[in-house]
Amino acid sequence: MAALLELENVHAGYGPTSVLHGVSLSVPEGGVVSLLGANGAGKTTTLRAITGGVRWSGDIRFAGHSLRRMSTEDIVRRGIAHVPEGRGICTELTVDENLRLGSHLRRDGAEVQKDYGRVFDYFPVLKERRRLSASTLSGGEQQMLALARALLMRPRLMLLDEPSLGLAPIVVRSIFEIIHSINQTSQVAVLLVEQNARIALDMSSTAYVLEVGRVAVQGAGSELQGNESVRRSYLGY
Amino acid sequence: MQEFLQLVVSGIATGGIFASLALALVLIYNAMGLVNFAQGEMAMLATFVAYSLINRGMSFWIAFPVTLVLAFGGGVVIQRLVIRPVERAPVLALVIITLGLATLVNGLAGFIWGYVPRSFASPFSPDSVDLAGVFVSYRDLGVIAVSGLVLLAVYLLLQRTTVGLTLRAAAHHPEASRLLGVQVSWMLALGWGLASAVGAVSGMMAAPILLLEPNMMQAIIIYAFAAAVLGGIESPLGAVVGGLIVGVTVNLAGAYLPGVGGDLQLAVGLAIIIAVLILKPNGLFGRAAIRRV
Repeated sequence: MAALLELENVHAGYGPTSVLHGVSLSVPEGGVVSLLGANGAGKTTTLRAITGGVRWSGDIRFAGHSLRRMSTEDIVRRGIAHVPEGRGICTELTVDENLRLGSHLRRDGAEVQKDYGRVFDYFPVLKERRRLSASTLSGGEQQMLALARALLMRPRLMLLDEPSLGLAPIVVRSIFEIIHSINQTSQVAVLLVEQNARIALDMSSTAYVLEVGRVAVQGAGSELQGNESVRRSYLGY
Repeated sequence: MQEFLQLVVSGIATGGIFASLALALVLIYNAMGLVNFAQGEMAMLATFVAYSLINRGMSFWIAFPVTLVLAFGGGVVIQRLVIRPVERAPVLALVIITLGLATLVNGLAGFIWGYVPRSFASPFSPDSVDLAGVFVSYRDLGVIAVSGLVLLAVYLLLQRTTVGLTLRAAAHHPEASRLLGVQVSWMLALGWGLASAVGAVSGMMAAPILLLEPNMMQAIIIYAFAAAVLGGIESPLGAVVGGLIVGVTVNLAGAYLPGVGGDLQLAVGLAIIIAVLILKPNGLFGRAAIRRV
C-alpha cells in the first residue's frame, strides 16, 4: 500500500529543548498505526509536528506533498483531522456548534448531511445533547464529540492523541470499537497515540515505540504484542 | 412620575451609545484578552470621517454605512499593522500599545480637524412625541432604534452565521480552532474590524449630543468600561444590558442626586466600575474565571 503520511528523520522541539531526534515512520492509506511509548517520549510532539504546531526539520509528506513551512490551517485543509491532547472541545460553544466547526469548510452540503447522520448513529448521545453547552458533557462524551467533529471534516487521516485518557475502561472499549469501525467503513487512516498499549495494538496493523525522541522498536501490531521482551521493557504489561 | 419616565427613556438612549462602545470593547477583549484603550479614539476618528463626508454634501444616511465600512477596514488595518506584529507580547505591553494608539489617533484627529468643537447635525427631528403622557424626543427614539438595530445585527452575525461561529471559536480556543482549519489570525483582524465599526456607531450617535472634537469620546469610554465591567467583560449581551443600566443610572443620578449633575456624573460611572469589581467581579453575565494551573 502507498504511504499516505511519511515522516523522515524528523527533529523537533520547543525552543532550546529538542524532543524528537530523528523520527521516521509511515502510515499507509486506510491503515491504523499506533505510536506508543512512555510519558515524554515524544508522541504528542510527533503529532504536533505533523499539523505544524511545533517547528521541525527533516521531512513530513502527506499524500506526496511536503508539509514543510505550511500553516496548521492549510495542513488541516488537506485532509488531516487532529484530535489533540485534551480533546480541543470549545466549551463556550454548544455541541452542535462544535460539530459545525468540523464541517464548516465543506461545500458538499448533501454529503455533509449524510455524515451528520452517520455521526449520530455512532454517537446517539450527541444528537440528544445538540443544543446543550459542550461544557456539560462528561469526559467520555467530550471524547465522542471530538471524534465526531473530526469525522465531519471528512479527513483522509485522523491523528488521535490518547483518546482513552481519563475515561472509564468500559467507555474506552466502546470508543475504540467506534474508531475501528470508522476506519473499516470509511477507509480513514488513523495514527493513534496511546498509553494503553494493549488496546491500541489490538487494532493496529503497525506500531512504533518511541523512546526519548527516537523510534526504539517498530513492527506489526501482533508481532509486538507477541514479543515478551518488547512488552516488558517498553509497553509495561 | 412623568419626569422620571422621561429620564429613563433618555437614559436608555445614552445607554445605547454606551452599549455600542462597550460591545466593541467586549469583542476585542474576547479575541485577545485585552481591553482596547484606543476604542473610543477610533470611534471619534470614524465620526470625523462621517463629518467630512456629510460636509461634502453626503446625506447622513449614506455617510453612516460608508463610515461603518471605512471603520471596519480601518480596524482590520490597525490589527494587521500594529497589533499582529506584537500578538505574542505580554498583556501589559499590549495595553501600553493600545494606550499609545489612543494618543496617536487623538493627536492625528487634532492635527487634521483641530480642537474646536464642531456641531454635528442630528439626523433626527428635535420634536417630541407624546407616548401616553410621557414626552419622548425623536432624537432619543432614533438613537435607541439605531443602536438597537446595530446590536441586533452583531448578535445575528455572531450567533447565526458560520463566520460568527468561527470568530467565537477563534477567540476562545485559538489552538483547537486552527486544527479545525479556522484562519485564526484573520478572525482576529475581523474582530478588530467589527469592533471598530460598532464603536463608530456610538461615535456618530454621540456627536450630535456632545459636539464633535478629538476628546469627545473620553467620557463615553469611561461609561463604556463601566457597562462592560458591569455586564461581565466577556459577555456581548452583558455589554448591552450593562450599557442600558449605566445610561439610565447616570441620567437619574444626574437629575435626582444633589450635586451630581454635570461633571460629577462621570464619577457615577467610575463608582459603578469600583462597586462591581468589589461586589461581583465577574459582572452580571460573566463566568467565574477558572483556570487550570
